[in-house]
Amino acid sequence: MATLDLQNISKSFGAAKVLQDISLAIQDKELVVFVGPSGCGKSTLLRIIAGLEEATTGQIVIDGADVSGAHPVDRGISMVFQSYALYPHLSVFENIAFPLRVQKMADAEMRKRVATAAEILQLTDKLPLKPGQLSGGQRQRVAIGRSIVRNPKVFLFDEPLSNLDAALRGDMRVELSQLHRELSATMVYVTHDQVEAMTMADRIVVLNKGKVEQFGPPMELYHHPATKFVAQFIGQPNMNLLSGTVKGVGPEGLAVEVTGGTVMTLPVEAGGTRAGDKVDVGIRPEDIGLGAGLRMNVNVLERLGGQSITYGLLADGARFCATLDGDAAVREGEAIDLTVDPADCHVFNANGDVLRRLKAPELTR
Amino acid sequence: MMDKYTRLQVVGIYAAIFVFLLFMLLPFIEMFMTSLRPLSHLFRSPYTFWGSDFTFEAYSKMWTTVPLLGRYIVNSVYIAGMVTAITMVLVVPAAYAYARLDFPFKSASLSVFLGVNMFTGAVLLIPLYRVLRTLGLLNTYWAMIVPGVAFLIPTGIWLLRSYLEKIPRELEEAAYVDGASRIYTLRRVVLPLAVPGLIVVGVSVFIGAYAQQFLFAITFNQERAYQPLPAGLFEFIGYQSVNWNEMMAAALVGVLPVMVIFLFLQKYLVAGLTAGAVKE
Repeated sequence: MATLDLQNISKSFGAAKVLQDISLAIQDKELVVFVGPSGCGKSTLLRIIAGLEEATTGQIVIDGADVSGAHPVDRGISMVFQSYALYPHLSVFENIAFPLRVQKMADAEMRKRVATAAEILQLTDKLPLKPGQLSGGQRQRVAIGRSIVRNPKVFLFDEPLSNLDAALRGDMRVELSQLHRELSATMVYVTHDQVEAMTMADRIVVLNKGKVEQFGPPMELYHHPATKFVAQFIGQPNMNLLSGTVKGVGPEGLAVEVTGGTVMTLPVEAGGTRAGDKVDVGIRPEDIGLGAGLRMNVNVLERLGGQSITYGLLADGARFCATLDGDAAVREGEAIDLTVDPADCHVFNANGDVLRRLKAPELTR
Repeated sequence: MMDKYTRLQVVGIYAAIFVFLLFMLLPFIEMFMTSLRPLSHLFRSPYTFWGSDFTFEAYSKMWTTVPLLGRYIVNSVYIAGMVTAITMVLVVPAAYAYARLDFPFKSASLSVFLGVNMFTGAVLLIPLYRVLRTLGLLNTYWAMIVPGVAFLIPTGIWLLRSYLEKIPRELEEAAYVDGASRIYTLRRVVLPLAVPGLIVVGVSVFIGAYAQQFLFAITFNQERAYQPLPAGLFEFIGYQSVNWNEMMAAALVGVLPVMVIFLFLQKYLVAGLTAGAVKE
């Protein structure tokens, strides 16, 4: 049982405001991912939760108790570092046992706990080795082992997979998700990789310039991004943005004129938008198909097998990207006609805030 | 491979090394040659590099000419060893504090340490003499150990601090998150990883202590039984003549135990540098 509440956390380094008034309520057994571009403050926020940095203002509450000034151990957190931070001179056993040695735990109990952790992480036969003799993935598991022996309330992960190669990262992602289920623990996970965020998280926090852009389940962020920033950050390849002008507001949605004079009726809540306002229309590359509508000159074609990703320019010079079928009859240097279902379009007002879609798919979890 | 030198470059490099080594080692060779020559041969002209009357006699005679010679050699090693031990005990926590902690006047005090290094002991001999007299340390081992420690602490801190700074901070943060105190982290994480650095600093402190003891010995100590080798070598200078050959023999023998220790340590130094490497 562990809930983690962040209440109005702010952090400044001198004049630089790294985090601004962040409040999040993380539930028991939840895996929450902090994601954002580098410099968005996600690691700083994690270090504040860990107790490695002090917040300038605000409280950290774990299980209802304010732990803002407490030592990491008293907070009941443990942390896995980006560089694993294994002690190179100690064996795998001693590395995992380190937190227990600090506690001066009885030898028998300590051995039992290390053995359990090693079994969960399939490290039993590696216990006598030094970290230098292990592969990247194994080292990562040792670092995780060190964090689970203490039975903390909250696990913190600071970009734990960023030092691994792509294939191993995929494997470790699955392992970590399994571990989360097995331990049924509260976890906070920091990454800059939106794929990790989408695949692992129960809920995602998107951070930008020290502020929370959106906090919600992955598919909600995908279908209902709150801001233009979230819309572009989540999804691969990035969402296309076309600038448009509102021509009319009706019960069916907004009539928006986009590139080349095409007027589309987009089913979104109008909010305060009126005719004549400038808006951005967001279209995900994967929502686009071949068919009459937008004409694009294909500059680059990437055939991935199952999909073909095309990059090119629209008639008015706007960059555009579309994900088509693997065998789509497309060639580099040729023009193609593309179409999109208006229900799949996202509309953002001049502030970058979204106008809620009326016909988005039901959220699946 | 990295070995991209042409044959000509290799020849050049070795020639340069040879000249360099010759420059450094020639005095030692001459010392050794002198120690083998009979005294009568020493001032013979013209200079001959090798003579048929060379003997190792000086190596046995020196012990009777200066009966306390063995004691001097032991004293030298003892004083330098004590200086090294005390310096390391003081330098390790200081260097760690400079590497990791934040405190007022941190960089200012570091600069002061560097400034102290610029004074040679000779400038401070008279004030030091008065201090040691007040403390009642004159004519004891401490008269040579205490100033030795004082002069070597700054170098030790500078050397070790830069080594400790290279140990990844995340290791200490991990230990902190797991509940380890600073002292526990220093003992179980930082120092084991710093062993190569500790050896480097220890060796340089020892060499420094060995080299500087002459000055302190002749000024602060009149007690023959406490004299280190460099001061003891003076006894080969008699009223009538100087037993150069025996003096050279004694100097070589006195340096020998230290050289052996360093050759032995050097092996560990190289091994330690690779074993302690931290994976990023």
